[in-house]
Order: sequence, then C-alpha cells, then structure tokens
Amino acid sequence: MRSMPSLTIEAAAHDRFGALRSALAAVRLGAEGAMAGWPVLLGRSAFYVLLMIVLTALWNKVIAERLPGTLVAALPAGGLALYIGVTEWIGLSVPAIHLRLEDDIRSGAVETHLLRPKAYLVQRFSESLGAMLVRMTVMGMAALVLLAACGRTWPPLPALAALVVLGPLGATIGLLLFTIAGLSAFWVRRTVPAFLILQKMLFLLGGLFAPVTLYPAWLTRIALATPFAAHMYWPASLTITPSAAEMAKALAAQLIWIGLLAGVAALIWRTGLKKVLRGDL
Amino acid sequence: MARTSLIENYAHGAAAAVRAAFADRTNFILQSLSMVVNNGFMLVLWFMFFAGFRSVGGWKLSDMALLIGLIMSIVGVAGIAFGGYRDMAATILSGEIDALLTQPRSVLARLLSRDSSPSGWGDFATAVAILVAFAGLSWRDLPLFAMGWLSGLIIYIAAATTFASLAFWISGARSLARDMTEFVILVSTYPGSIYSGASKLIAYTLLPAGFIVLTPVRLLRHPSLATLATVIGAAAVYAAIAIGVFHIGLRRYRRGATPTMGA
Repeated sequence: MRSMPSLTIEAAAHDRFGALRSALAAVRLGAEGAMAGWPVLLGRSAFYVLLMIVLTALWNKVIAERLPGTLVAALPAGGLALYIGVTEWIGLSVPAIHLRLEDDIRSGAVETHLLRPKAYLVQRFSESLGAMLVRMTVMGMAALVLLAACGRTWPPLPALAALVVLGPLGATIGLLLFTIAGLSAFWVRRTVPAFLILQKMLFLLGGLFAPVTLYPAWLTRIALATPFAAHMYWPASLTITPSAAEMAKALAAQLIWIGLLAGVAALIWRTGLKKVLRGDL
Repeated sequence: MARTSLIENYAHGAAAAVRAAFADRTNFILQSLSMVVNNGFMLVLWFMFFAGFRSVGGWKLSDMALLIGLIMSIVGVAGIAFGGYRDMAATILSGEIDALLTQPRSVLARLLSRDSSPSGWGDFATAVAILVAFAGLSWRDLPLFAMGWLSGLIIYIAAATTFASLAFWISGARSLARDMTEFVILVSTYPGSIYSGASKLIAYTLLPAGFIVLTPVRLLRHPSLATLATVIGAAAVYAAIAIGVFHIGLRRYRRGATPTMGA
C-alpha cells in the first residue's frame, strides 16, 4: 500500500516526460517536413529578400527627400534596414498554423485526432514550432548574406547573439497568436479574417515597418503593452538601441506574453472542444 | 438539349457560390466586418505615415488612397466572383478536380467559380469608401478608372491562377501560391515611386503589381493612349499565360503525374 503514492508520482512523471517526448518528436517531425519542402523554404527566403528590397527602398526614399517639419529627423542614422530585417525575419518565419487548424476543425479531422493518446493542440503547435525553427535558420542565413552583400554596418555582436534567443521567442508569440486565430474555426467557417486582423495589428502595434517609438506617445504606450510589440518590436529594437537593459526588458516581455497566450489558447481549445463533443460544430 | 455558354455557365456557378456564402448569415457578417476592420488598420497606418512624412517620391496621401482603393476593390471582387482562386492549389493537390474532368465545361472556369469569399464584400465596401472620400477622383475619371480596374482584376486573377497551377508540378505549392499571391498584394500596396532597377523589374513581371495597380494609377493621374494600351495589353498577356500554364498542368494531371497533398 505504501508504494502506491510513489507509483502514482512515477506514472505522472512518466506521463509528463512522455508528453514532452512526443512534443519534441512533433518538433522534429515539423522540422523535417519543412526541410523536405526545401523549394518552399527557398521561395520564402526569396520573398524575404524581395521584401527587404521594397521596404528599404521605401525608407531610403523617405530619408532622401528630407522634407522639413517631418519625422525624418527621428529616424536612426543608419536608416531602418536592420530593424526591418529583424521584424520581417521573425514575421515570415511563423508558419500558417491557423490554416492547418481550420482544415482539421472544419473537416472534422480533429475528432479522429481526439481518439489518439497525444494532445492534439500540443502536437500541432510543436510541429509548427519545428517548421518555424527551420525557417528562422534558413532566413537568418539569407539575412546575413544580404547584409554582407549590401555593405551596411553590422549590428554589435551582443545584439546579434541576443537575437538568436529573442528572435525565436518573438516568433513563438506569433505562432501562439496565429494558433488563437486558427481556433476561431470552432465558431467561424474561415479563419482568414481573424488572421488578417491579427496581421494588421502586427503591422501597426508590432512595429513591422517602423519602430513603435515613432508613433504618437499615446499609441506607443498602447503598442508596448501588447503581445504584438513582444513579437517583433522588442527583438528588432536591439538593432537601434543595443543595451543590456533593452535585452532584459525584451526577454521579460516575451516570456510573460508566451505564458499568457499559451493559457488563452488552451482555454479557447477547451471551450471549442466542448462544442465538438456536443456535436455542435 | 439546351446549351449554355461558358459565360452563362460561369455566372451560374459564381452566383451559386455567392448564395452559399450568404447562406451562413453570421459567418458572412463576421467575415465582411472583420475585413473592414483589417482594411481600417491598413488605412490608419498609411494616414500615420503620411502625417509623419508627407510624401514618398512625389506620392501623396490621395495617390496612396487611389492605389489602396484599387487593390482592395480588385481583391474584393476577385474574392466574391472568382473566389476559387484562393485555394486552387490545394484543390489540385487534393485531387478534387477529378470530378470536374468528367464535365463538359471549362475546368478552370469551374475552379474559379466554386467559392465566394464573404470577406470580399468587406474589401469592396472599404475600397468604395476610400476611393470616394480620399482618392481625389471625379466623374470624368470613371471610364479610365473602369478600364484600369478591369485590367487590374484580370491580371490579378491570372497571376493567382498561374501561381496555383504550380501545384501540377510542386507538392508544396499550396503555401507557395498563397505566399506569392499575398506578395503581389503586398507589392501593390506601396507607392510606385519606390521601385527602381531590379525591384521595378519584379513588380512588372513576376509579381505584376506594376500592371495591377501602378499603371492604372498612372493612367488616372496622367492619362495617355500609351498607358491605356499598356494596361489592356498586359491584361491580355497575363491572361494568356495563366490559361496556357493551367492547361499544360492539366494535361500533366490527366496523365497522373501531379504530386498529391501529402507527397
């Protein structure tokens, strides 16, 4: 009888490790899937390069005009190419998990997954995480090649090192946001509208095209308090103000938002699941 | 036996898809409104941008409003009346076109008319509001606007169809086609003055934003016969490329050489 609690604890620990092992296996599966689709990876890297060309051209044009009485004076001396390089690197690395969730939920395939002993949402998220990490690696290399080719000044080494951590954490926040958009499929037929709104909020409040500090003070405050800034602005801001305090602030904001968004996603998933089990989809 | 023309056939298919989109009233309202909100964010971004920087290579806020109004209305109408283009690559990869091959009418027309996007109505409504309120157009511009808009619509659908047709050759084409179509929209939402050299070449070839919106904007701001001819010619060329690539791919599909979704 005395061994029972110990057995229960061992079984629970085994379950936890088992869940972690299957999540890691799903990460590996997602990574291998992304690598197998190398033409898509190459295409995405090409998009990244094209985006950088377009956005750098936009800001270069603005800076070249130097219109008096405008915000040109507030732009960093080296322009915004490095900042945008980081925001786009993070943004383009996030897989379209919302479409995968939409497909599974709307087609009823999610019900088949529920019979399996693995947590569906964790498996899907982990797979996308694996794909995301591969995308980040490939596009990160494309970014470095582009940076070397265009002859711009490199960001300081500590900032580059910090980006190796803050970049993937920022992309994880994006993945969680898109997961939440995908889970809206329990209630709406297409998740694209939710995704588009999220995407535009990322543009605006995440500082995709310009640091949120260029906005009016009230909007800057709002943007900094959202997960969108933790997704893109905080990591990218290291290219403008590469200080230890900025890095610590970015890391703290990202960890808090990852915890909160994971909780929200789990909550929505459970509510949606109840709808499925009631046969109300 | 009564025969229907291809256009009639297409119109029936598209009308059925629009009715199906309307049928789920809540979903329809939700999607349309969310698109209005989405577009509102975009507009706010550009308003803020021009409030801060005033001009980009001679492009002012009214020029941007015209550009955004054009691309939003094109994407909106494409989603409403040709909504099948959006997931055409997935349809090809999943083998769903098998059922269409046994039917007498054009497979491409049926693919394009099989779906209608409720969010397209949101795009269209926002576009009309932007064009009327901010683009600085007058009634005299209407004929040229109609020409430029129609050509832009044809080129946009043609480009999306060409990208989707890559699914006849590439298993990962669903994501690739979606990304390329989104990129066309993205390039179409920046002032024409920023493109030069390689980026201009890309905007007027692979990602034809140059012909979808930039040339129509030039046609409206600086009308000329040469620009009008360019707009119409580009529509004809891109439509021919799309139809050609799709049918070459379809022949491959009939031979069973097309990859599948899981491949």
